[in-house]
Amino acid sequence: MQLKRDEGGVRHRLIAASCALLSASAGRTEEAPNTSIARALSDWSLDSALAYYHEDGRVQVIEPVVSVSKSYGDGASVGLNLTVDALSGASPNGASPSRMPQTFASPSGKSFTGGKHTYTTAPGDLPEDPHYSDLRAALGADWRLPLERLLTASFGAKISYEDDFYSGSANASIARDFNQKNTTVSFGASYEADSLHPIGGTPVPLSNYALFEKTGNQSKNGAGLLLSLTQVMSRNWLSEVNLSLDRFSGYLNDPYKIISVIDAGGDVRGYVYENRPDTRTRRSVYLDNRVAWERSSAGLSLRYMTDDWGIHSETVQLHLQWWTAERDKYVQPTLRWYRQSAANFYTPWLFGFTAPELSSASSDSRLAGLQALTYGLKYGIKLRDKLGRESSEFNVRIEYYQQTQENGLPGPGALRGLDLYPDLKAILVQLGFSY
Amino acid sequence: MNRKNLGLFLIIGAAVLASGCASLGVKPWQRDLLSRQDMQLNGNALDDAIDDHLYFSKEASSGGRSFAGGGCGCN
Repeated sequence: MQLKRDEGGVRHRLIAASCALLSASAGRTEEAPNTSIARALSDWSLDSALAYYHEDGRVQVIEPVVSVSKSYGDGASVGLNLTVDALSGASPNGASPSRMPQTFASPSGKSFTGGKHTYTTAPGDLPEDPHYSDLRAALGADWRLPLERLLTASFGAKISYEDDFYSGSANASIARDFNQKNTTVSFGASYEADSLHPIGGTPVPLSNYALFEKTGNQSKNGAGLLLSLTQVMSRNWLSEVNLSLDRFSGYLNDPYKIISVIDAGGDVRGYVYENRPDTRTRRSVYLDNRVAWERSSAGLSLRYMTDDWGIHSETVQLHLQWWTAERDKYVQPTLRWYRQSAANFYTPWLFGFTAPELSSASSDSRLAGLQALTYGLKYGIKLRDKLGRESSEFNVRIEYYQQTQENGLPGPGALRGLDLYPDLKAILVQLGFSY
Repeated sequence: MNRKNLGLFLIIGAAVLASGCASLGVKPWQRDLLSRQDMQLNGNALDDAIDDHLYFSKEASSGGRSFAGGGCGCN
């Protein structure tokens, strides 16, 4: 979440590089299959995508992703993937709309005067930092290693870099097949260590926004367990159930989020920085089902998640896929429904600068009770090499996402009649190529 | 669903699955449909990764399908 203005050049270079990669990869399909290069690449596969995400009136993201993997005859495989995100636009700072203009300092600012490090929100609008930008690069690797006929170990590692956030994670799991490989049980563990370097320093939790009280860098870490059972139910039905448990501890705040302090009449008296608990434990149950027919298939997944912040969420995702008779083209509609309850320390505003009974408070809308719907459609074309073998795929995907806050507190006094909880609407367009 | 109900659900679910798994499944020569790409649980890994990153940054829940790691500092 770095706050600097000129990211346009980076975005354009990312787009150019991604298109070059996609076109270079496509060119490989024209090679004669018996060349030494083709032989050397025959065990490698490439999966790439260029995604563009745009929120109505807020941020936009360009995200190229490239993943390569090599399979060995004994079932072993190695993979590498690279993701880059270039994000820019406006992001809510956590404050509530008001009947009066509101002036804020950017995270690197030290006062509310001077145009360069301040921004003003018009009456009635949701306060958003218009100079929000970020560039993230993440590199991941995975390694699958058969230990014996029915036993497989897997390892993964990932590093992620942003100007204000570094992250490293690793995981390991072991899977055992039973029942003629119709049943697979796997168990794994993961660990993540993060370092946070907020722009302008880390604000003192719940401190008065106008005092600019900042401290140094912060860290957090987390560990997780994942138990998975995969079962072939019948010739055309595959089912999986996962149980996961993870716990994060350390600095779990969003250092850029503030909370409006209002009086009983709904007028703004100031702002304080948010504060979240310094531990979070989450549990989830995830169920996935795949069913195949001759020229179509369906996937239905359900997830229930709960944590000790008081958040409970349910997710249902359905996707269908239809193929042409030649199996060279497909269309895949997707529907996802999500609902979460609010964190028990979520509040859209506070009535006073000092609230001793409040050890934690956040107005981050992502911690509010909300509901979201995603509608998606994907279209893919399979390409064949000169011998007629299926060799690569082009696809395009589009998604529409709409998030609506639920059970928002009515605004007191002057806040009545304002749109205090505007919907979030976003669109995702993605081009993909795999080889 | 409170914690007690969740635990009960998990225990009953695990027992049903464990007792039923031995009688489920197919012979190796009946895996034609199961071997198709659209039947692989991680068959759309890139799409899933891009979607998971979007949902991670807009919602309070993440993971479940696999390990969540290396995320951004935005939530």
